[in-house]
Amino acid sequence: MQFYISTLLIYLFIDIMGVLGLNLQFGVAGIINFAYIVFIAVGAYTAAVVSLGPDYPGNFQHYVFGASWPFPLPILAGGAAAAVLSLVVGVISLRRLRSDYQAMVMLVLSLIATLVASNATGLVNGPAGLATIPQPLYDQLGLSPLDYQWAYAGWAAFLTVVVFLFVQGITRSPLGRTLRAMRDNERAASALGKGVTALRLMVFVVGGFIAGVSGAVFVEFIQAWSPGSWLYPETFVFLAAILVGGAGNNWGAMVGTLLVPVGFLEATRYLPAIFYQGFIEAMQWVCVGLLILLFLWFRPNGLFPEQPGRFRRRPLITGGSTRVPAVPVAPPAPVD
Amino acid sequence: MASEPEQVLSVRDVSRGFGGVMAVNGATFNALRGHITGLIGPNGAGKSTLMGIVGGAIKPDSGTVVFEGRDVTGLPAHRIGRLGMIRTFQLSAEFTKLTVLENLLVAAPHQKGESLLGAELGRRYWGPSEDALVEVARSVLDRFSMTAKENELAANLSGGQKRLLEIMRALMANPKMVLLDEPFAGVNPTLAREIEHYLLDLRDEGLSMIMVEHELSVVERLCDPVIVMAQGKVIAEGSMSDVGARREVLDAYLVG
Repeated sequence: MQFYISTLLIYLFIDIMGVLGLNLQFGVAGIINFAYIVFIAVGAYTAAVVSLGPDYPGNFQHYVFGASWPFPLPILAGGAAAAVLSLVVGVISLRRLRSDYQAMVMLVLSLIATLVASNATGLVNGPAGLATIPQPLYDQLGLSPLDYQWAYAGWAAFLTVVVFLFVQGITRSPLGRTLRAMRDNERAASALGKGVTALRLMVFVVGGFIAGVSGAVFVEFIQAWSPGSWLYPETFVFLAAILVGGAGNNWGAMVGTLLVPVGFLEATRYLPAIFYQGFIEAMQWVCVGLLILLFLWFRPNGLFPEQPGRFRRRPLITGGSTRVPAVPVAPPAPVD
Repeated sequence: MASEPEQVLSVRDVSRGFGGVMAVNGATFNALRGHITGLIGPNGAGKSTLMGIVGGAIKPDSGTVVFEGRDVTGLPAHRIGRLGMIRTFQLSAEFTKLTVLENLLVAAPHQKGESLLGAELGRRYWGPSEDALVEVARSVLDRFSMTAKENELAANLSGGQKRLLEIMRALMANPKMVLLDEPFAGVNPTLAREIEHYLLDLRDEGLSMIMVEHELSVVERLCDPVIVMAQGKVIAEGSMSDVGARREVLDAYLVG
């Protein structure tokens, strides 16, 4: 039971990281990144190959660039690789295309990436994927498997807090305000002197880095990664989490993660097998789609809608410069 | 004339075609500092395209645009915006999910917390300049009698208020020149009169503007000089009473 709970917590934290990165791209900046899972996958593969050690002829799996980098480096490498890929993809697709076409490009990218990873078998071992990826510091810590799990959960929680503070730093700042403005009306933002292409590219790379980190932390935990782990519908689970929680609201995104990828998909695993093998899983995808539709119709701003910026009250009209301390204008949704 | 007013914008022989249609076909005009230059003409005359070219949203096929002595031809919109030429849009272009106050704050140039590093350095870093900006934005709101709407989401404003918001937002960007694309479209007459007075005040304070407008009485009250366009060309230029009397202008309006 402890195993189960700690595993679930680790999944939750990793998913939260991923959702926060996508929320920055989609919720705040309005970039429809249907290929988000690809950047998670790239982070995961990168972390895997730099910790698996050099490949050798008799190995049961083959991959490029084997190395045995010490503990935090594979995670950083995962983030960096995803960020670099984001930059390349962003430069090609985000500059000139309208956002709906960008979305299509992303979806196609997701499909192509799966095909490449599956068919270029020398790259990351094709459809079988990579396995026996070492868990970081497992030998050095000398913990029992259960204690290690809890330690890993703590590590994931720590990273999640760091990512949260980072994205919150963006969304609550003038930069976040400019990004939201760009999302609401790109032409007007650029007429006011905002370099929308550069802003979009920046957000795309930052979000890509976060995706890569979350993929790396994930793969170092489950120790295996294959094309089946990151099919394109996974991105829609993340999107569903954001739409349910509230696009643009980082707290909402976290609640959405708790509800959709973790709560909803985990709970349905315990349904009895009906009709035929795999029926429940197929229905899960249907339900995720329905969930997105229902929220877009009935609660388009999600459970915790985006909070507009709050400012100090105007000084009292006495002519003095006394200021009233900041008072929440909005109802006390879980913000700050 | 002895004291010729200074040119702030000079458009020379600008053309732009879409497919086989020359939307703007060799247009030439000047805008004067501290004046509201009116741009009128029948539908399809190329006024909006010309505004798009001047504002950087549309690239011209040929010709030059010189703003404040600097060749800005073909620069992207945000670069032209940073030089101090701010345009408003024919259709409302408010940032819907931002409050009115936030809409104004976005427009301020060179904000400390607008870079990734600046944002992550936190409120301690960008807070003071942000507070100063809020003061400026509030004084703009007061001036345009929009104080009460400060915390309203821009999406919830009326059509006329949205036009006002756009003008306020343009002012927050410290403009040297504002391009107004039909600022009175869909505004009730009372508010339109109010906006007219605001624009005249701004002009008297030295702000240069170019205004595309269909309502000729408004143009007569606000604009001098007036540029008349038809079929992609400038066919007349001068004061409203001047151009209104000209044969080719009447023809253009009557024949279209």
